[in-house]
Amino acid sequence: MNETLLEVRNIRKSFFRKEALNNVSVSVRKGEVFGLLGPNGAGKTTLIRVINRIIEPDEGSVRFDGHLMEANDLRRIGYLPEERGLFKDMTVENHALFLGKLRGLETKDIRNKMQFWFDTFQMNEWRKKRIEQLSKGMAQKVQFMCAVLHEPDLLILDEPFSGFDPVNVELIKKQLMTMRADGKTIILSTHNMKNVEEICDRAALIHEAKKIAEGTITELQGAQKTGLYAVRFRGNMLTFVNALWTGFEVHDKIEHGDNRFTVRVKMRNESSFDDLLKVLIGQVNIESAWEVLPTMQDVFINLVQPVNHEE
Amino acid sequence: MKNSLLLAIREWRARVWSRSFLAMSILGPLAVLTFTYLIFAFGDEGEQKWNVLITDPTNYMKGKIMPGEDQSITYSFANSTLDHEIFRDGSRYKEFDALIEINEKVLENKVSHVFFRDAPSTRLRTKVQYQIERRMEEILADEMNGISVEKYRKIKRPLTMSFVDVYDPYGEASSLNGWVGFFLGGIIILFIGLFGMTILRSVAREKSNRIVEVLMGTCSPRQLMTGKILGVGMSAFVQFIIWTVIIGFGLYWMRETLFVDLLDPRNANFDEVTAQMQNQSYAAKQFSSVEYNRFVDLVYNKINFGLMISYFIGFFIGGYLFYAAFFASLGASMGTESDGQQFVLPLVFILLIALYSGYYTINYPGSSFVDWMQYIPFTAPVVAMVKLAQGYGENGYQIYISMTLLYVSAIVMLLLAARIYKNGILQFGHRLRLMHLLKWLRKT
Repeated sequence: MNETLLEVRNIRKSFFRKEALNNVSVSVRKGEVFGLLGPNGAGKTTLIRVINRIIEPDEGSVRFDGHLMEANDLRRIGYLPEERGLFKDMTVENHALFLGKLRGLETKDIRNKMQFWFDTFQMNEWRKKRIEQLSKGMAQKVQFMCAVLHEPDLLILDEPFSGFDPVNVELIKKQLMTMRADGKTIILSTHNMKNVEEICDRAALIHEAKKIAEGTITELQGAQKTGLYAVRFRGNMLTFVNALWTGFEVHDKIEHGDNRFTVRVKMRNESSFDDLLKVLIGQVNIESAWEVLPTMQDVFINLVQPVNHEE
Repeated sequence: MKNSLLLAIREWRARVWSRSFLAMSILGPLAVLTFTYLIFAFGDEGEQKWNVLITDPTNYMKGKIMPGEDQSITYSFANSTLDHEIFRDGSRYKEFDALIEINEKVLENKVSHVFFRDAPSTRLRTKVQYQIERRMEEILADEMNGISVEKYRKIKRPLTMSFVDVYDPYGEASSLNGWVGFFLGGIIILFIGLFGMTILRSVAREKSNRIVEVLMGTCSPRQLMTGKILGVGMSAFVQFIIWTVIIGFGLYWMRETLFVDLLDPRNANFDEVTAQMQNQSYAAKQFSSVEYNRFVDLVYNKINFGLMISYFIGFFIGGYLFYAAFFASLGASMGTESDGQQFVLPLVFILLIALYSGYYTINYPGSSFVDWMQYIPFTAPVVAMVKLAQGYGENGYQIYISMTLLYVSAIVMLLLAARIYKNGILQFGHRLRLMHLLKWLRKT
C-alpha cells in the first residue's frame, strides 16, 4: 500500500516568463486516491500535463513505478482532462475503438471492455450514435469510459464530476472506489472539497505554482485544527456552563429544542478532551462528543487565503 | 508509426465520408470536363459577330473586301465621311457595331481608325485588320500598274523566321503542351491550397475542442502532426484518383461520341491546312481554325499522360508535404480557431506566386529565372510540370534535381513544423505573433 507509484521531483515550468510550477514535488502511492487541490490557475493542470508527458518540464523529473517515466508508461495511465474533447463526427463505439487502439488494445479486447461500460452506464442504445447527438452528461460518460477502457494502473482525472448530475456523480464515485479496491491508483484534481473528504486518501495543495501542503486528509485537517471540541447533550445549559469552570470556555452553541444542545468548547490551561468529559458526566446527559476538525473546505480556504492577504 | 497510421486512418475516414468531400469529388471533375467541352465545342461559335460600316469617300475599296469571307463580320460601305459622334448617336447607324474610316491618305500613311461600340475580342480585331490589310494589298497592287496581287504579295511578304527546337523539330512540345503542364501544376496548387486549409482548420478545431489533449496522453505531437498530414493527404490522393478516373473517362467518352469528326484524319485536309498556314501572315494564323483542331489533337494525341501523371504524383506528394508542414504548424500555433489569418494570407500569396511562376515559364521557358524557380520548393511543383510538358533538353536531369530538392525541403520543413506544433499545440488564448513561431521553433 505504501509503495510509491509516481514520484514528481522538483518540477519547474514557465510559459512566456510566467511561472506555472515552482519546484513542485509530490509522491503518489500505489492503490491510493490522491487529491490534487488548488485554486484556479495554481498549476494543477500543468503538473498533470507534465506527468502525462504532454509538456516537458524546464527542470525536474517524473518517476513512474520505480524508473524515470518513458513514453511506454503512458499506456499504463488513463487521463481525463478538464476541458474534454471528442471527435464529434464519430460514433460512440468507433470513438472508443479508436482511443482503445491508440492505447495498444486489440479490437476484441476493446469490445469486451466497452460492453462492460455500456452496461454500467446503461448506454447500450447510444453506442451507434454520433458524439454530436449525445447530451453533455452522456458525452462525459463516453469520455470517462475512454479514459479507463485500457484499465490503467494510474488514472488521472481532472474535475471528473463536472457536468454530471448527482446520480451520475455517485455512479462515477462508486466506480472509482471499485478501481481503488482493485489496486488502481487515482489522481483526482477537483475543487469539490466534499468529494475530496469522501474519496481521497491523501492530497496535495498547490497554490501560485508552489506546493503548500501534502499529507493524508486527516493530517491536512489536523494541521488546521482549532482546538475545539463539540458536545451534544440533553439537559440544562446553565448546568453545562457551570460544570466547565475555569478549564474550558464555551465557543458557541446550537439549540436543538427539547433541552438539547450542541456546544463547541475551547480548551484552557492544557485541559484535555478526557478532562472535559469527566467534568460533564453526571451534570448533563451527553449524547455524543467529538473533536471539531476543519472541513477540507476550511483547510483549503485557510491555506490559500493567507497568501492572498499578503498580495 | 502505428499511432500515426491510426490517426491518419481516422482522419482519412472522417474526410472521405464527409459530404463536402463527395461533392468536391464529383463536381470538381465535372466542372473541368464542362470547361473542356466548352473550349472544344463552342470555342468558335461563341465568337462575337460584327456588323461593320466602312466610310470610304475615295472609294478605294470599291465596295468590297474579299469574296467568301467568314460569317462573323459583315461589311457595309459608305462613300462619304462620317463623324464618329454622328455614328455614335445617329439612330440609322445603331445597327452597326463598328465604324472603320478609310481616309484619302490611307495608302500613304497606312492609318485607319476603327470606332467600336463594344470592345472586340483580340481574335476579331486580328480578323478585321487582316481582311482590310488584304484588300489594301489588292488596291496597292492595282495602283502599281500591272503587277499582280500575287506578285505584289510576294514582294511585300516579310521574311518569316521559323524557330524550331532541335530536340523537338516537329513541334510536339509546343506552348500548348506547356499549358497542359500548367494545368497539372495548377491542380497540384489547387489541391495543396484546399487540403492545406483543411489541415489548418482541422488542427485548430481539435486544439480548440481539446481532443488534442486526450490524444497527447498517448501520442507524441510529431505523431499527431504526421497522422494529420498523412490522413488529409490520403484523402487528397483519393480525390485526385476520383478526378483522374472521371476526367479520363469523360475525355474518352467525348472523343468517342462528341468529337469523332474532329479527330478523324479523313476529315482533315492537311495539305490545304499546311499551305494555308504557310501563306498566312502571323496575324492570320492567330485565328486559324487549325489552332482549334490542334488543341483537341493535343489533348488526345500529343500529351504523354503516362509520363506526366507519374511526375505529377511525385510533385503532388512532395509539394503537398512541403506546404502541409506550414499549414499544420500554423494550425497548431493559433490561439483561437479564428486566429492566425494574418499568416494564412502570405501562404495563399505564395501559392499564387507558384501558379504565376508556371505561367511565366510558359512564356519564357529558357530564362534563367525559370531555371532557378524550378529548384525552389515553393514554385517547383508548377514550374517543373510546365517545363516537363514543354520538354526538357537533351537529358532533362533538372527534373530530378528539382524533385530531390523538393523532397529534402519537405523533410526539413516537417521537422521544423513538428517543433512548432509540439510547442504551440497546448498554448491557448494568445494572439499569434511571429515571435511566438520563432520562439517555438528555437525551443527543442
